[in-house]
Amino acid sequence: MYPQLLSLKDWFASDGRHFQIISQTLFLMYGFYFLGWDADWLNIIAAFAGTLIITWLAIKRGMVGRHSLKSALITSLGLSLLLKANSPWLFLLAAVLAIGQKVLIRPGNKHLWNPANFGIVAVVILSGSAWISPGQWGSGALLIFIIGSLGLAVLSKIKRLETGFTFLIVLSSLEAARSIFYMGWGADVWLHKMSSGSLWLFALFMITDPMTSPNSRPMRILWATGIAIVSFVLANFYFINAAPFWVLFFATPLNFIIDRLYKSMPFKWFEDNPISISSQIQITQDK
Amino acid sequence: MKNVKIGWFFAIVLSVSVMSATAFCGFYVAKADATLFNNRSEVILVRDGLRTVITMSNDFQGNMRDFAMVVPVPVVLKESDIKVVSRRVFNVLDEYSSPRLVEYYDENPCMRYMSDQMLYNSESSEMTRSKMVFSTEEDAGFGVTIEAKYSIGEYDILILSAKESGGLKDWLLINGYKIPATAGEVLQPYIKSNMKFFVVKVNLDKMQTGYEYLSPIQISFEHEKFMLPIRLGMANSQGEQDMIVYAFTKQGRIECTNYRTVKMPTDKNIPLFVRNQFGDFYKDLFQRTYKYEGRNAVFLEYAWNVSPQNTGMKCDPCVGPPPIFNDFVEAGVDWALTGSTANNVFFTRLHVRYGRDKFPADLTFQETPNNENYQCRYVLTHPAYGPFDCEDAQSYLESLKERRKKEIDELYALTGKGDVKSGAYLIEFDKHLKKPVKSEKGEEERNDFVPWAPIDNRISPWKILPAVGLFLFIFGIMRYASVRPRTAV
Repeated sequence: MYPQLLSLKDWFASDGRHFQIISQTLFLMYGFYFLGWDADWLNIIAAFAGTLIITWLAIKRGMVGRHSLKSALITSLGLSLLLKANSPWLFLLAAVLAIGQKVLIRPGNKHLWNPANFGIVAVVILSGSAWISPGQWGSGALLIFIIGSLGLAVLSKIKRLETGFTFLIVLSSLEAARSIFYMGWGADVWLHKMSSGSLWLFALFMITDPMTSPNSRPMRILWATGIAIVSFVLANFYFINAAPFWVLFFATPLNFIIDRLYKSMPFKWFEDNPISISSQIQITQDK
Repeated sequence: MKNVKIGWFFAIVLSVSVMSATAFCGFYVAKADATLFNNRSEVILVRDGLRTVITMSNDFQGNMRDFAMVVPVPVVLKESDIKVVSRRVFNVLDEYSSPRLVEYYDENPCMRYMSDQMLYNSESSEMTRSKMVFSTEEDAGFGVTIEAKYSIGEYDILILSAKESGGLKDWLLINGYKIPATAGEVLQPYIKSNMKFFVVKVNLDKMQTGYEYLSPIQISFEHEKFMLPIRLGMANSQGEQDMIVYAFTKQGRIECTNYRTVKMPTDKNIPLFVRNQFGDFYKDLFQRTYKYEGRNAVFLEYAWNVSPQNTGMKCDPCVGPPPIFNDFVEAGVDWALTGSTANNVFFTRLHVRYGRDKFPADLTFQETPNNENYQCRYVLTHPAYGPFDCEDAQSYLESLKERRKKEIDELYALTGKGDVKSGAYLIEFDKHLKKPVKSEKGEEERNDFVPWAPIDNRISPWKILPAVGLFLFIFGIMRYASVRPRTAV
């Protein structure tokens, strides 16, 4: 696992989070340079500073490993991509709350909430000066392709494909049933709804977080189905914007119970038994 | 913009035989060979909690007998929920918030006096002409229920609910509303989502003689839905329509939740000769920006805190007077009248150009806490006009020429069009120059760094730098986080 002993490619492939970090960074740049978002670098700096500093403190205290810095990057990028706020301080607050709850609230040695999701929802509720812009991605078909394929790379690497896909399939089926078959809109209305960039980002990067979804596979599928159904109901009958984010916030703590009832191997970002590492080093040296 | 005008013309010619009707929220329904066209509609949208007030203006000039309008609404409106307001408030809001031109004057490098005069100009809005339709009202059993019947101002109003679109369509047809064949399928989704239909026609007896236009109609209701139904208006229209939304909220800007809300380019320096053609300039700019953003974005043209309590600046420069108490009352911003400072009034102006292909779904909105001010502003800078007999004058003239090059490039970048006046504009002061300026710097300002990016110089090399920095930073952290402490092995 020493990066200096692995080729860049092997190192990059050694952790699913690397794909995720790079793709999220690309999305952020896409938003800034092509979708005309307000490129507020102070906000970005605040988000990164908050997550990295808190993670660093946790590492120093021996609460998490050094590799958690990667998760901190993902959280900062998640905040930068989804959260909008009137002040950089709110980004800092979101970042601190996100990582704070991650390292402090760990029943069963697994955190309850996806950090970015927690940070966003907490700041939106607490401050009243932050918000989510579900429309900011528009619905360019090209974007879906890019997000989809990059997200897929992440998912297949970390083998949690089914959570995001279950969510998308269930939600799009319900939306199709309502928009096309019940209400009688054309398929383009449905397609427009389903091609929202925010939705895809949520499905591929947030709900799939292996650390905050159930450990057992059938339970994950059930869990994602539940989130899709509740999101559909809230969006269509209660007119709540960005419904999936809110639903996920309330659904992740359920994992604590689900994991107690259905025991399964918890997720690890990489195999860390010494034999495999030394054999890997061996292989690299043979090259 | 010529193309667009041809486009409109074409649509009008077609509609003589096809019968066309368009409107912002609903549609004008036509009878026989009536020709209707409305390429710009205006809506005032007020949102406070669950309460929505929508004021729709009909810039409709023609035979009032021919006018009819259908708007889907989420609840059955009571008589007190419907009002007729004066057209004046739209003019006030439009004038106040339209894209603006600001002029600055250079100081003469030899004379050192200041002229800080500013002149303002506002985009000239084109009035559009459209014809109207008449409808007679008869009751019949088509699964259509007349929920309410009012006579307000010069209008006769019906609130209909329907069980299925076929029935509603037939009912409208039998009652003399000639609706397009495609309208049926558009009506269906609204019926299914339990919406009612607000049907309006003009009562000629109540029409005051000498009135040339119809009063705007204001409706208010309480519902979670915060949207503008644009689909019905597209039922029988070809091409694109423009809609200006003037929104009032307590907290901050409104934004669209199912399409992107994009700011128009602002604070750009443009050549002086644009002064007399600012309207055309803005139209070209809008058209270009609209295309660049994929023809499916909503554009922000103005955002400002206009609270009566806010005694600070309400625009810079102001094109028209900011709205005051009367205007707020007229627009339905009822909370503005209490003196409390907690009751802010935030004003957002959105401009949507929509067509059937790129806007399949109705516009839905949300209020955000974003209270940052924004305005669409273009800057003209007048040069100093002689005498240029001191030493400083030469460097001033050189910088003036550089500036004018940039302005011409900017004009091209913004509108995608050159102007024949550019050449003369560039060399206007050359006669005062002792040696010619040979720099081609103005050309280099164009974006050659990222060749596939639009000429719009949105992506300039220095803007890329923070992104490169971020990438390197992230990469560094990733590498660092992959190294394990020595004790691990």
